[in-house]
Order: sequence, then structure tokens, then C-alpha cells
Amino acid sequence: MPGLKLYVGIWLGLVTATILEVVTRSLSGTISVIVLAIMVIACAKAITIAMYYQHLRYEGIKVAAMPIAAVVGVILLAVSAAMVGMNMM
Amino acid sequence: MTAAEEHSQETKSSFTPFLIAAGLALFMLGLLVFFPLAIFGLIIFALTLLKVYKDNVEEKFSENKESLEQKWPLEAMSKEKAGTWIFLMSEILVFGSLIVAYVFVRISSGPWPVATEVHNVTIGMANTIILLTSSLFMVVALHSIRTGNTTGLKIGLGSAFALGFVFLEIKLGFEWPELARNGFTISNGLPGSTYYILTGLHAAHVAAGLAAIGYLMIRAFKGGFSSTSHSSVENIGLYWHFVDIVWMFLFPLFYLI
Repeated sequence: MPGLKLYVGIWLGLVTATILEVVTRSLSGTISVIVLAIMVIACAKAITIAMYYQHLRYEGIKVAAMPIAAVVGVILLAVSAAMVGMNMM
Repeated sequence: MTAAEEHSQETKSSFTPFLIAAGLALFMLGLLVFFPLAIFGLIIFALTLLKVYKDNVEEKFSENKESLEQKWPLEAMSKEKAGTWIFLMSEILVFGSLIVAYVFVRISSGPWPVATEVHNVTIGMANTIILLTSSLFMVVALHSIRTGNTTGLKIGLGSAFALGFVFLEIKLGFEWPELARNGFTISNGLPGSTYYILTGLHAAHVAAGLAAIGYLMIRAFKGGFSSTSHSSVENIGLYWHFVDIVWMFLFPLFYLI
């Protein structure tokens, strides 16, 4: 079980990442690169919350497998949507 | 060999149900998007059935039922916690499907309003930080009760509730009316309907979370939790952090991109 200092440190990191997202939006550059960077930061924030606030880092693989399975399902849906989208073009 | 060791050898986890489900899922997905994938899924399904046949399950099931009982993979976890995670799995699929649908619609549609021109980024960022802080207080509440600190639990729960309420008030009491005044409504085409459906569903989840935290606060003030009995704080905390995770995707999708 992590201590309070770690929780506050994680919170500081998450707030910094949020500010970084907003700053990234205002940068000049290729829009696809900016979108990718923002989504990578969003994913990193979500994973951090799941690992440290939901304690998945300290749970066994059997617990972590449940949300991972659901995320894999969403990724499969995204891939199939992308394939349908490509067929439409 | 003791009876316990004998029992432990006879019980085991099995991947067979997972493989059958995965094979069928790939088969169905392949039928929709890529036929060779359907064949691959069918092969996995057929091979798994063959394995079941080879394992001669029929013979095993004819033995003493108790000795054949398969090991429940989540036996180290309480039923409430397992139930919470299974519920969260369904929530991941609900929000994941809606977010994928939103991205699909947005990419395949024509011109889309610039996010920063429609939405107030500062308010969105402030709401994100408010929700993150609420999550911090929720985990502080759990940490407190695990160490037997009931005052810390009450402060943590109270702060998490107050911040969640502020988030909802900003969203529904200020942001939505402001958007409506500017002509951005749910009947305003795809940009409006996708925004209000996704943020509205999220707001409903926040409201449900607030009700659950309110219940925890009442129990906490009645002295209903201790360092050994606090599973509902942990389980409702898992849900509250999930609501936070969803917003981590909604904020950039609607306010930044």
C-alpha cells in the first residue's frame, strides 16, 4: 500500500500533464502530430490513475486482466471501425 | 500427502472458456470486417473443443464432484470487489464504444467546429483539475481508514464529495447554459449531439458517484468503518477513479482537438 506522499506526487504529475496537454494544443506543427501527442498524454494519465489510485499496480494479474480485457475489446472495436472507415473512402 | 495438498493438485485454473470465447469473438468480428479473421477464430474454437475432448472432461465430471471443482480464479478477492471490477468492465465497454463512435463520426463527417472556438479551454482544464483533486481525496480517505484514521476518512470523503459537486455545478449550471446561449445545443447537428450525449452520460455517472459518496459519508459519521471493515470505501473509490479516467479522454477530445 503506497503512502500519502506518493498519492500527492501522482496528483502533481497528473495536473502537470493536464497543463502540458493544453500547452501542446497551442503549439504550431502538424495537426496529426499534435493530436497524437495529446492522446498519448491522455492515455498516460488514465493508466497512471488506474495503476496508482485504483491500485492495479499492487493487485494480481487476475484483477488487472478484467479492465485489460475490456480495453482490448474497445481496441478491437476501434480497429474494426477504422477498417469500415477505410472501405468507405 | 495431506488432504489439502491432494485437493490443491486436483483443482486448477483453466483457460478453455477464455479460448472458446476468444475464438467465437474473432469469428464474429471476422464475419463483419475481414473474412480470414473469421476462419482464424473458427480454428481457435475448433482446436479448443478438440482439447476439451482430449482432456476427457466427461470422465472427469463422472468422478467425485468436490474433487473436480475448478479453482475460482478470483477467490483471493472479495465478491464485492470482483463485482465492482466486472461492473467497471461493462462501463469501459459502454464509454469506449461511445468514444470510438464519436471519433468515427468526427473523422468521417465534413467540417467540424474548432474545439477552442466552441468550448472554454480554461473551464475544461479547471474542471479536469477539480476532478483529479477529488480523486486524490478519495484515495486519501481510503488510506486514512486503512490506518484507522476516521477523521482523515471523513475529511477525504467530504472533500471528494464537495469537489465532485463543484465539477457538476460548473458543467450543468454554467457551461451548458453558456453553450446553449451561444447556439450550441443538442439539436445542433452531430457536434452538439455527440458532445451532450457523452458529457451528459459522464455527468450522470458523476451524480451517481456523488450519491454513493454521500452514503459513505453518512456511514462514516455514524462510525460504520474501521481499519478492518471498509470494503465499500474501496469499491466506491474504484468507481470514482473510473469516472475520473473517462474525463481524462473527454477533456482532450472535446476541448483541445
